[in-house]
Amino acid sequence: MFTQFFGSFLLNRKIVSPANLRVALEKKDTTRVKLGVLAINAGYMTAKQVDTVHKKQATVDKRIGDIAVDMGYLTEAQVEELLSSQKTGCLLLGQALVDMGCLTNEEFETVLNDYKKENGLTDKDFSNENNEKTESVISSFFAIEGEYKDYCSEYVNVLFKNLIRFVGDDFTPLQSAVTDSNDTAVIQELCGDFNAVSAITADNKAAAVFASRFAEEEITDMDYAKDAISEFLNLSNGLYNVNISETTGKEIGLNPQETTTSSAVSGIKSKFTLTIPVEYTFGTVVFTLAVI
Amino acid sequence: MEKDLSKAKVLVCDDSMMVRNKMKKLLTAYGFTQIFEANDGAQAVEKFADIVPDVTFMDIVMPELSGVEALKLIKTNSPDAVVIMATSVGTVGNLSEAIKLGANDFLQKPVDEEQLYKLLDNYFKKEA
Repeated sequence: MFTQFFGSFLLNRKIVSPANLRVALEKKDTTRVKLGVLAINAGYMTAKQVDTVHKKQATVDKRIGDIAVDMGYLTEAQVEELLSSQKTGCLLLGQALVDMGCLTNEEFETVLNDYKKENGLTDKDFSNENNEKTESVISSFFAIEGEYKDYCSEYVNVLFKNLIRFVGDDFTPLQSAVTDSNDTAVIQELCGDFNAVSAITADNKAAAVFASRFAEEEITDMDYAKDAISEFLNLSNGLYNVNISETTGKEIGLNPQETTTSSAVSGIKSKFTLTIPVEYTFGTVVFTLAVI
Repeated sequence: MEKDLSKAKVLVCDDSMMVRNKMKKLLTAYGFTQIFEANDGAQAVEKFADIVPDVTFMDIVMPELSGVEALKLIKTNSPDAVVIMATSVGTVGNLSEAIKLGANDFLQKPVDEEQLYKLLDNYFKKEA
């Protein structure tokens, strides 16, 4: 999920527009990460060297890797290593933005390094996401602090994993969003050692696409869409409860889901409310966890 | 216990229409022709008594009566009933309570075709 937070980072720094990010997220799965981006990510080449190699390629009939070796920027072993390395989501997204002309290689180098530095991430973290690092990125992004920090950051961690697995990875977490005008709203209470109300709200258009993707069928009837979204909430909360039960031995129960209104969700009296808006390529969906 | 699939009755208990539809599709493809539905725990108990299904799929988080409460009532009256808990809330607490009450098996949600069919193969004999 570092890819999704990399998208947020680009938006927050106003490096790319929301519209361009949406296009890049749609394109990233069919994007081929080029050697230059891989070399920049590995720290083997600077963006300037990559640009020099690209310019040279326009004049000679040779592969980028061979030119980089000829110019002494890379060894043959490094070329092999880069070509067989894992093309992580951040690199796919970065390459899509470079291909679209939204980022130069140099800008990509700067933002990628800043993103890694700000979040204490390494290349290893990109290809092997562990809970500790993701939860630290989550709690810092959503400014989660205090007594409920662990419960809340784990909630977002499980939620995002489920979104990626069951709905799609083409989303960007946002730090704020308007929630009152959403006409689809479902809630579910978590009760026991941790008491909270969880909710999903979205406008009908985004809700219908979200539901269709999750149900793997075309949904236009809004009652059926709400049913499917309720089931997603129940599924994600269920898997969260299993995680909490396995890691802490604490049991959290779930009450049946209900449909409601988004103003009722914003009106929940809570000790702490975590609002988790995500911008999908088809619209905004807002998740809420209100600790009561 | 291996039963003839074409004569077998199956009851799907889940408060989500989407899940019931998905299950019906998968069960039909497996070969069932008699599929019944219940959309809450209380209805599950009632329908069970009416239909006497050969196998029952039971969600846990449901209105009226939870799946675990429905399981308890069903097993009290019909100890030999085959009840498979289909849930995403497979916590130690839920699982051990359901096992104590006589649940025959567990199915992790979202239900995966391969996992479902493998489980059903233990109970039903398909015609060659």
